[in-house]
Amino acid sequence: MAVDTDRDGRGAILSVRSLNVDFTLRGARHRVLRDVSLDVRRGENLAIVGESGSGKSVFCKSLMGLLDANGRVESGEILYEGADLATLTEKEWLKIRGKEIAIVMQDPMTSLNPLIPIGRQITEALRLHRGLKGKAAREAAMGYLRDVGIAQPELRFKQYPHEFSGGMRQRAVIAIAIACRPKILICDEPTTAIDVTIQAQILDLLLSLQQKYQLTTIYITHDLGVVARVADRVAVMYAGDFVEIGTTEEIFYDPRHPYVWALLSSMPQLAKKGENLYSIEGSPPDLSSPLAGDAFAPRNRYALKIDFVRRPPLFSLTETHQARSWLLDPRAPKHERPETKGGGAG
Amino acid sequence: MLLRLMPLEGYFNNYEKLTPTQIKVGLAKLWLDRPMAVQLGHFWQDTLRGELGVSNKYRVNYPIGKIIASKAPLSIQIGLMAVTLAFLLGMPLGILMARSARGHSRLKIWDRFGTVVVVVIQAVPASVYYLFIQIYGTELLGKFFPLPTLFARDNPLTWILPVFSLSLSTMAWSAMWIRRYMADESTKDYVLLARAKGVPAAAISRRHIFRNAFVPLVQSVPTTILLTLMGSLYVESRFSIPGMGGLLVDVIKRQDNTMVQALVLVYSGISIVGLLLGDVAMALLDPRVRFAGKGDAR
Repeated sequence: MAVDTDRDGRGAILSVRSLNVDFTLRGARHRVLRDVSLDVRRGENLAIVGESGSGKSVFCKSLMGLLDANGRVESGEILYEGADLATLTEKEWLKIRGKEIAIVMQDPMTSLNPLIPIGRQITEALRLHRGLKGKAAREAAMGYLRDVGIAQPELRFKQYPHEFSGGMRQRAVIAIAIACRPKILICDEPTTAIDVTIQAQILDLLLSLQQKYQLTTIYITHDLGVVARVADRVAVMYAGDFVEIGTTEEIFYDPRHPYVWALLSSMPQLAKKGENLYSIEGSPPDLSSPLAGDAFAPRNRYALKIDFVRRPPLFSLTETHQARSWLLDPRAPKHERPETKGGGAG
Repeated sequence: MLLRLMPLEGYFNNYEKLTPTQIKVGLAKLWLDRPMAVQLGHFWQDTLRGELGVSNKYRVNYPIGKIIASKAPLSIQIGLMAVTLAFLLGMPLGILMARSARGHSRLKIWDRFGTVVVVVIQAVPASVYYLFIQIYGTELLGKFFPLPTLFARDNPLTWILPVFSLSLSTMAWSAMWIRRYMADESTKDYVLLARAKGVPAAAISRRHIFRNAFVPLVQSVPTTILLTLMGSLYVESRFSIPGMGGLLVDVIKRQDNTMVQALVLVYSGISIVGLLLGDVAMALLDPRVRFAGKGDAR
């Protein structure tokens, strides 16, 4: 897919600055997001990539104030339209959630209330944020059902979630998400729980809705195929920090962080027949104790001594491409990059 | 059947004074001189006609239907009041517990408080706390307004303590299960989605969590209500309420076989109807549960 990054026309709609998020688990504190900064540009499709437990879902939940009870934003700012979302009270959040920022969750089988007809689950949001009631709300809801490609909206409006298939439910969840015309749509692994044959349809739907309603979408995924299909920009997360941020092309064709090399090498699409699929050795770090240096260092065969001691700064490679690795320091020794090219972007 | 093994003497109030002929006539009246199969057939015939027969010893030759009719209304009245009170107190307590359980630690005190109440009610034998309620209820509250120890149908004040006593166990039961199921439901994805829609917490509790949590409970509600007909042995004897409470135990002790038969029949009938109504209620509440044969089940 062609990548379009016209940098000037798009200001940041959302700026995350030095965000730290802690979770308390059995009395122990775990720093799940470590000093994270990211700009989300108006109208872009941003993909956040990372393995399970890297903190990508927590990052997005903190953008909506939906952290679990044991998690909290320790410090940092989430700037949206001149307001710092990190300081909002629960009451103030109610005006942001759904209306400004909406979410499509991973599993459509569980993310709808089984006892309430689909239609009413859409109108609930319409009533809250746009004051629509009765017939007006019903008309609007049916419009959105049509928008997300559900045939016979009059019939579907009255049906319950169990009368929908998985793909249809995800469409309904998307209809709920866009019903209040949010500016930012977060898609938390929107296709993970869906039949492979439907995945592409859902992604195409999301892209067309993004155009139609001028949404800024943030995809959370560990599926690099999804990234290649939908994203303009990619942010790669490891152990609660973004290690590399760039356009989709830059990340796939010119990755700089060893973790991203490893990640791209472990894509099954690239593996040759008969060879073992590459997998990253070791496991993600334990977050209960503070991390020194580059969190990926212990699993990194290119790790330098300094990687274990000091956290690398964010090196800017181009205006759109940044990576956090000491290998990019001019003083770093020369290193051979592994073959990762052609990573599924097409 | 077991009751048939009891000595014949038990069927008569004044066995010692009767002549053998009188005994024979008495037994024949009860069909006890026929073979077992004939007795059973006779019993089924009467039952199908809706005829419960007459009492043999409890009130001699008095129709059992009438005995039940004279006692049941009072038990039902008290029972229904108690069940209503139980749900009125238990549900909000359960909801409060569930909501505070996942909230701030400051709120958790309500969950702790509720748990203590529930555990005490469940763990202390009913007869013990009934006694305490009767003693302290009348003594302490009696200083402000008199609450009589014994029941009198015409005095509304005397209804308070028995109804309250009777409601406690159902209250604890409903609070406990509502809390449990709501705590379960509140971690589900659709609750997160509702929050992400911007629905206020109170509305989520009410509209989304409570309804889903109530589904597994609704099945037992009709049975709970219908079984108030049986009355309560403890409460009714403690406050001397002339209800159904001790009736079954009483007639078993007195070997009034026709009464035992009739009561057991009525109670099991109630249980069956209660379970049926429970299933119906569940189907009404949960669209996923459908009556078979309607053709729209997928």
